[in-house]
Amino acid sequence: MSPFAIAMGLLVVVFTAVTVYATDFSLAGIVEDLGRPNSSFAGLLHLDWTQVTNTRALSAFVETVQMAVIGTIVGGFAALPLALWNSRVGAPNNAVYTIAKAFNNVVRAIPDVLWALLFVAMVGIGVLPGILSLIFFSIAVTSKLTSDVLDGIDLGPVEAAHATGAGHTAMLRTAIVPQVLSSYISFLLYNFELNLRASAVLGLVGAGGIGQLIDFYRNARAWRQVWGLIVLFFIITFLVERLSLYFRRRLV
Amino acid sequence: MSHPEMDTDVESSRQERAAAAVRPEKGMEVFRWVVTMVVVALLAWGLTADIRFNRLLGAIPAFGRILWLMFRDPDWSALPGLVSAMWESIAIAWLGTVLATIVSIPMAFLAAENLAPRPVVFVVRQVFNVLRAIPELILAVAFIPVFGLTARTGVMAIAVGSVGTLGKLCYEIIEGLDRGPIEAADAVGATSPQRLRWGVLPQVMPELASFAMYRFEVNIRASAVLGVVGAGGIGTLLSQYISFKVWERAGIALVVVIVATIAVDAVSGRIRRRIVTGPDGTVDDSSIDPDALGEASIIVHDRGGGPGGAGDQ
Amino acid sequence: MIQFSNASVTYPGGVHAMKDLDLTIEQGDFVVIVGLSGAGKSTLIRAVNGLVPLTGGSLTVDTADGDGGRRSHEVVGLTGAGLRDLRAEVGMIFQGFNLVTRTTVLNNVLMGRLHRVPTWRTLLGMYPKDDIEIAMRALERVEIVEKAYVRASNLSGGQQQRVGIARALAQEPSIILADEPVASLDPPTSHAVMRYLQQINRELGITTIVNLHFLDLATRYADRIIGLRSGELVFDGPGSAADDRVFRDIYGRSLTAEDVMGDADEADVQAAAGSVPIEGGAPE
Repeated sequence: MSPFAIAMGLLVVVFTAVTVYATDFSLAGIVEDLGRPNSSFAGLLHLDWTQVTNTRALSAFVETVQMAVIGTIVGGFAALPLALWNSRVGAPNNAVYTIAKAFNNVVRAIPDVLWALLFVAMVGIGVLPGILSLIFFSIAVTSKLTSDVLDGIDLGPVEAAHATGAGHTAMLRTAIVPQVLSSYISFLLYNFELNLRASAVLGLVGAGGIGQLIDFYRNARAWRQVWGLIVLFFIITFLVERLSLYFRRRLV
Repeated sequence: MSHPEMDTDVESSRQERAAAAVRPEKGMEVFRWVVTMVVVALLAWGLTADIRFNRLLGAIPAFGRILWLMFRDPDWSALPGLVSAMWESIAIAWLGTVLATIVSIPMAFLAAENLAPRPVVFVVRQVFNVLRAIPELILAVAFIPVFGLTARTGVMAIAVGSVGTLGKLCYEIIEGLDRGPIEAADAVGATSPQRLRWGVLPQVMPELASFAMYRFEVNIRASAVLGVVGAGGIGTLLSQYISFKVWERAGIALVVVIVATIAVDAVSGRIRRRIVTGPDGTVDDSSIDPDALGEASIIVHDRGGGPGGAGDQ
Repeated sequence: MIQFSNASVTYPGGVHAMKDLDLTIEQGDFVVIVGLSGAGKSTLIRAVNGLVPLTGGSLTVDTADGDGGRRSHEVVGLTGAGLRDLRAEVGMIFQGFNLVTRTTVLNNVLMGRLHRVPTWRTLLGMYPKDDIEIAMRALERVEIVEKAYVRASNLSGGQQQRVGIARALAQEPSIILADEPVASLDPPTSHAVMRYLQQINRELGITTIVNLHFLDLATRYADRIIGLRSGELVFDGPGSAADDRVFRDIYGRSLTAEDVMGDADEADVQAAAGSVPIEGGAPE
């Protein structure tokens, strides 16, 4: 084994020990907790299948999908120019590059639910803060992934475009975008899956969709209904994922 | 001009051919048209939700006002508490990732088509699929009655939420294993554990370790908000400060989350690169393409990087 | 007319790629630049359209101004719109073709029109009819118009280089620069590409500057040969005056088989040019 592997192994063991202490975690405690009867798992065993046909649940789901759709389309489109500016080859100058990079890093470090907390505070509860959160979340995901691909493109066409006297924007559109387009679309579809998942939890902080209903039943300790909604959620995301995967495979 | 007669000949045949060549018709761009219509229709349908856009007008001044209130006169006395809560979030993410890795490796062997019987493979893979689909925050909600309003709930939510993605990646690596080293181990009469140690692990470890580190980065984002439902970490303070509009503390909380996340990304990113590329920046094992482990590549080629939670980014 | 006076290029690493060059190229000339790799051929060609800036001396490039008159560009210090105006008048062909392989041949050729097309049209991919017509005619000239809507990645190397030529032609340039245009091609295809360049030069009067490594291609197609060694001019004369002794002098060593492309069978050249050879019609 290399010294690096040994050092990393030690580091992992030490860091894990420290985190066990920090979170007051113990396997014995977990086993003990699992052995005790609890309302959540009792609800899972008798989950409320009628949620799958409950109109209130279904309309909350429609709202969730709508939020994910708008978030993906608006955020995903805004992400393309940002991704271009966030790469050395696509940025028109160093100032734009630095600003785009800093913006991307900050946006990427903020989790979806945190966006929702902030937007709920700004515009009140409902679908709107949910959509705004997903727009920012999508910008973070898609622009990061796309700019990673941009680092590996063929620079020949860029030189060719410069040699024809093309302006910077025209060069981006004709020499760079066609090279990353299929990856970018693939990321948009992936992003849609993420958004669907995210939009289901944003409701826990008041940002619309199915999460709001889950939160309602949770506060009422109605675990059978909570689990019913989770199952419904799983069925829908599973179908969307299959569909998206089908299109993504065709794109590559 | 060394061959004038040839040039004229080429010239005449060129003209003949130019006359013969027909410009192609531009094909109907049905696919592009359909995609555009679908996107427009989806957007139009999405906008029928109860959005109440008029509130957007107030959002921009509200944003400016909140930023001003956050950083005009921050309440620094909140910093120590926030730092220790952030540390708890990092610890939750780390421990959850470690547990998920430990559990997912044996499960992955049961999900690999070249090692386990078909029915077992099917069942284990479905378990991975279900776990991959459920966001950590939902798991945390469901776990609170079991493990209580503690960091332990957070650890379990992160761990269970990550088993799906890590397991999927792991069985894909196992299925793509190079048979050479395993046969070499067999040839020298290795026992099963020895074969695992010398034939399988050296091939699996770098890629798995690198992906687990990446998963840790993703999990930091998830664990930072678990506290919103009371499952430990900085999320509890974040949601309190923001919901009750304690902006002079919320601003610091936001900065702590952003700085800690970027710092962990940077360190973890370096370690991942080092794991894959070896000490001198070159790849020690020719079977691993350092770029192939980039997140973008995982998604484009669908290598286990499928969605694994709301915090996935 | 292209006029280098006392021109020098020193790269940041301290390499002198061009030393005090004095050179004048007349309008309509077909000039071939020969030299070892690293002799400064690429630097010279890229200086003309400002892809490589001069670090000393001056360079004047005369081009058509679009109204039948001439316009003189002082290349040193040219930036922004002035630089793009110059480049719009100078077509360039590359060793690696530099096509966007994931889009159509026509889209690649239309890149030559970017300077004339408003940016919003480019962004939407809505090119004016006239520009598409110019691109189509450029494709007809290199006899590959039937591939206009094919993805560039589906073409052979020789076909891709013809698209590269069409892209340069679509600029309706005064000057064409070709940087090792045949270095990645086989002999018949190389001859076919050189003939297209020669025809374009003769029929359209476009000043053409080609970097070549192969001596036989140089003497066969050049009106004028310029030899470079370590960034300095060591030969300048008509193609007919360049014999083996001259090349040994330019290369600073004896010649090898690597320095000669070799003749290609005429039928192969015709085939490479995109046509089926006419039965019994081949010369020789």
